[in-house]
Amino acid sequence: MKIFAAVLLNLALVLPACLSPAQAADPLRLGLLHTLSPAPFYMAQHSGYFREAGIDLTFRFFDAAQPIAAAAVSGDLDVGVTALTGGFFNLAEKGTLKVIGGGLHEQRGYEGSAILASNQAYDAGLTGMEKLGGRSFGITQYGSSFHYMIGRIAEAKGFDLKTVTLRPLQQVSNMVAAVGSGQVDATIAIASQAKALVAAKQAHILGWAGDVVPYQLTAVFAPTATIDGKTDVLQRFAKAYQRGVADYRAAFLRLDAQGRPIADANTDAAIKAIVEYVFVGDPDARTKILAGVGYYDEGAALDVADVVAQIVWFKAQGLVKGDADPKSILDTRFLPTR
Amino acid sequence: MARLDGPVRFRGGGFAPRDNRWASAGTLLGLVGLWQMAASAGLIKSLFLPPPIAIGAALWQLIVSGVLWQHLSASLVRLAWGWTSGTFFGIGMGLAVGLWSACRSPGMAVVAALFPIPKIALVPLFIVWFGIGEGSKIATLAFGVFFPTVIATAGAVDNVPRGLIRMGQSFGLSTAAIVRTIVLPGALPAILSGFRVTSSIAIVLLVAAEMIGAEQGIGAFVLSAGNLYDTDNLLAGIVVLSLLGLLVAWAIGQLERALLAWR
Repeated sequence: MKIFAAVLLNLALVLPACLSPAQAADPLRLGLLHTLSPAPFYMAQHSGYFREAGIDLTFRFFDAAQPIAAAAVSGDLDVGVTALTGGFFNLAEKGTLKVIGGGLHEQRGYEGSAILASNQAYDAGLTGMEKLGGRSFGITQYGSSFHYMIGRIAEAKGFDLKTVTLRPLQQVSNMVAAVGSGQVDATIAIASQAKALVAAKQAHILGWAGDVVPYQLTAVFAPTATIDGKTDVLQRFAKAYQRGVADYRAAFLRLDAQGRPIADANTDAAIKAIVEYVFVGDPDARTKILAGVGYYDEGAALDVADVVAQIVWFKAQGLVKGDADPKSILDTRFLPTR
Repeated sequence: MARLDGPVRFRGGGFAPRDNRWASAGTLLGLVGLWQMAASAGLIKSLFLPPPIAIGAALWQLIVSGVLWQHLSASLVRLAWGWTSGTFFGIGMGLAVGLWSACRSPGMAVVAALFPIPKIALVPLFIVWFGIGEGSKIATLAFGVFFPTVIATAGAVDNVPRGLIRMGQSFGLSTAAIVRTIVLPGALPAILSGFRVTSSIAIVLLVAAEMIGAEQGIGAFVLSAGNLYDTDNLLAGIVVLSLLGLLVAWAIGQLERALLAWR
């Protein structure tokens, strides 16, 4: 009996040590929006790709894009994925952050962000993007990705951005509500929200941003402390992220002959992974995810030419200061470029 | 107890701090100087806190480009409308609460229930009610100014010496005349000191009021600079708000001297 107890005790002491990996994984804190947009990270985490790469990745969720960049500057994050905005570039400009890889990309043929017109404005003749001049337009803030999108749409469609009355509304939910109630003539919303508004007959879709201004919407970035101090961890992180992107593309971005997305067993497996992090317990999760997935480039490539163009645009608007070379805020050693 | 022999030493004095304008200006200038020296010496990174010279340069840029005036004029119009309407209705309700029993308990119950609501939380509601334009912004300011004005006015009326009112009654003055010649002048000093609080509240609320849908306005400017991590302009805007506060306090001081000259 005594021997039996001793064996049991030994087992209890030794077993956990055998189960845990021989080498401790490197901890890494990733800052991301608590939305569908960073889905490849959810999938890579669910499939254990980061663990296999020897990384103990923790998600730090945020509810707005810009605080992610600020948290990285203050040392609370090791790596982040966020929308490229004037605020982000102003912080990066000072040499504290570098863009290392691509995230969501507005792409021709993929429904990412829709340009919405209110019912009142549509009835009064706002039936195309080229007629947005002289109208009011809801954005979150000056220097946001929405501000950038309407600026580039203005260039592409040949109207003057200065004639558009920009209405900063702080939150995406306010933008959707404002266009639905006709308080602004037009705004931009992601596919899932835009389609819901149209289905409720509260707005009209004028077109998709990706068809007019394909561009790098979100990107992976790291503070210089991680890039210099944890170079090899960041390299392994990038590889694991690429595996997540490959799974994501296989699940959501294959199109059939008619250009419609294919949904098969891959898709269902991916949705199962994603609902662990967003739309938890939501019975409509599948529909919402399928309506909301955006485009990721192969291998999480970074659209360098477009990021440089974004910085040039923000500088021309006076929203980003300083005269650092745009390329100096990029570090392309970790992920491919396109 | 020791016996006191001879003349008693003068033990009064003290407890009467005097103002020294030079000391207050000197302290502020000294702090700014220290800040600038620390920044120039590289002790403070400009990313975390821009040096005073950079803030001054940003402010100068705003002035010469005319941008400051665009923002300031939009804000001043909102402040004027919001503060005036909040004060007008606040004094009206404060007088009613202070004068009539029928209004007192119901009025104070409403004020006590609504005053602690953070006005910033009501901004979305105001947008639904008053639209995205000037209406919701003025309403936010007016709502924020209204309640402290009611409390200041009701308290001021309560503190008017009852003896004076009784005297007016025994001389046969009508209620209206008592209110006009005794209650209002007697309550005026406390109402005016209430203005100091409400004008500061209005400036604080400017940022909240201009959060939604404002293209122009110093509060919108500060918010936008903060979002862009444009710290030079952020602090330049804060300096403007602070100067605005000083200016309003000075104006109220002048108003007090003019209206309370009879004291």
